[in-house]
Amino acid sequence: MAVVEIENLTKRYDGGAEPAVRGVSLAVADGEFMVLLGPSGCGKSSVLRMIAGLEPITEGTVSIDGHVVNHVPARDRDIAMVFQSYALYPHMTVYQNLAFGLRRRSVAPAEIERRVRGAAERLGLSPFLARKPHALSGGQRQRVALGRAIVRDPKVFLFDEPLSNLDAALRVSTRNELIKQQNEIGITTIYVTHDQVEAMTMGHRICIMDKGEVIQVGRPLEVYGKPANTFVARFLGNPPMNLMKAELGAVDGRVRCHVAGISIELAERSVAAVASGVILGVRPEDLYEMPVPTGLGPMAEIPVRVIAVEPLGAETLLVLASADGSQEFIARVGRQTRLNPGDRSTIALDTARIHLFDAATSRAIPHGRA
Amino acid sequence: MGSPALSWFSYVRRTPLLIFLLLYTVISGGPFLWVAAMSLRTTPEIFAAPYALPTRLHWEKFVEAWTKSNYGTYFWNSVIVVVTAVALLTVIGAMVAHALARYRFRGSRLVRFAILSGLILPPQLMILSLFQILLEYGLYNTLSGLIVVYVAGHLAITVYILEGFFAQIPQDLFDAARMDGYSDFEIFWRITLPIGVPALFTTVTLNFIILWNEFLYAVVLLTEDEKRTLPLGIMHFMGSHQLDVGMLATGLMITIAPIILLYAFFSETMIKGMTAGAVR
Repeated sequence: MAVVEIENLTKRYDGGAEPAVRGVSLAVADGEFMVLLGPSGCGKSSVLRMIAGLEPITEGTVSIDGHVVNHVPARDRDIAMVFQSYALYPHMTVYQNLAFGLRRRSVAPAEIERRVRGAAERLGLSPFLARKPHALSGGQRQRVALGRAIVRDPKVFLFDEPLSNLDAALRVSTRNELIKQQNEIGITTIYVTHDQVEAMTMGHRICIMDKGEVIQVGRPLEVYGKPANTFVARFLGNPPMNLMKAELGAVDGRVRCHVAGISIELAERSVAAVASGVILGVRPEDLYEMPVPTGLGPMAEIPVRVIAVEPLGAETLLVLASADGSQEFIARVGRQTRLNPGDRSTIALDTARIHLFDAATSRAIPHGRA
Repeated sequence: MGSPALSWFSYVRRTPLLIFLLLYTVISGGPFLWVAAMSLRTTPEIFAAPYALPTRLHWEKFVEAWTKSNYGTYFWNSVIVVVTAVALLTVIGAMVAHALARYRFRGSRLVRFAILSGLILPPQLMILSLFQILLEYGLYNTLSGLIVVYVAGHLAITVYILEGFFAQIPQDLFDAARMDGYSDFEIFWRITLPIGVPALFTTVTLNFIILWNEFLYAVVLLTEDEKRTLPLGIMHFMGSHQLDVGMLATGLMITIAPIILLYAFFSETMIKGMTAGAVR
């Protein structure tokens, strides 16, 4: 049980011109599941390793329960970590792997036995305790790595992309397993991933990083619904949010957005101040085939040409070009669509669900809408 | 595939390889078998018919060599020197290799260069200075002196082999052990060494074979008969005017027997250690 706070954390590697991590601040509450999400090389793993004590801190502080631990060695921080490669000791059996950390901490032999058997039971590893890691499947190894963290009963769990070596089906089941375990154990967890699905489904909150900096922190749906900039908008969601260059203009005191050959009237918005160009963002699921289902808000209609149809089974993705050819975007529609490549049609856009970004800074422009 | 004509053709194609392997085996194994045969024959018998097989097996020659020619002493001297040197080499070499493979410290490249430069220096080059140094420290003509020289001389190749292997152990394992609460030395002891067993076997076997046969340093740095090692002992049978071929062969067999045994037991592990290295 612990609160982890990082303050203005910066990491500069020898020979690196740019810092790998710059000025990252983040507070993780007791028992919280925090996901650090970002593309590879964004510095998320460096942050995790600095919290673990595996990497020296260039600037800033890491505190656990209010105590700065910058100079506390990794072994005294009472943190357990699960590595992407699992890092199981190849010369030890599963039992020995699980017990290794406890032995060092001079836990009584009977207690070690109890905790190892308990964790093995919990993770379904009991039949494999006498095996060595090379005789286990990928999923079993992953569970041993998790078990090694659980038996320690640490203050904090750190996960460094623990699912990325698993195949797709196993990844889903292990993900659910991890969520269940974390809920039951309730230990503060920091989880690094580049997979937005993992981030959305597992995290109580997500911290999105890019180029060594924190871009946005928030609950999954909050970040998904209100991305702070175009990077977050594109990074969360699959297929990613459609971004289109647009112009703002005031007509009769109303703000209109000109995009893809049409003009969308915006609800009251304090966007007039933005003189430069804007970027209009629309999620693929906020585009609809005609006729539009009833009960939705105001729609804008965009004449389009269908470029490609990608049936995914449960739904179909339409790759579309605006009639004037200036924009290309993706719509997520039902599987019963009758559109074919080359067809000309009209697509409805839910104007209440559009996002606006400043073209110069790529930051989100605050909405009037809640 | 598998038609008679084709398999006949592939058989013909393999013939040169088979001939080569046969020749190679005869050239490398032949002398050994010849010496083995001679070791059981007396010198007059050998002079009468050098390539004949033993008619009567003179096992008593081994007893004679062991007791009358001081071979027992040579053998134990060799065992003491080589076993101690190999043990020290393994422990020191593994520590050095672990440090060089795991830690980036100031001057690590220089240390590596200094140690590995030992690989390129021929032993003859250092013999005079070593002689002088051992003399000054009272280690000349002592077994401990020879041990020190052997350890220093073979550290380079030992570190070279072990570092290559240790560097392939994933860093995550060491990080995991640190998170599990282990100190640097404990990590070396409980992670690097057990995982590095194949590489350690390689260096142990290699060093053992080379040092067991080492002649140059031993002949220069040891003078008393009581301190000689086996390779020097063999010289006993080579007088300046006569050569006791029969006893020489017997002495050679006593000398190489431990090596053959060692190799027979560990050759597979040794080759694994040299070629493999994957830990996953």
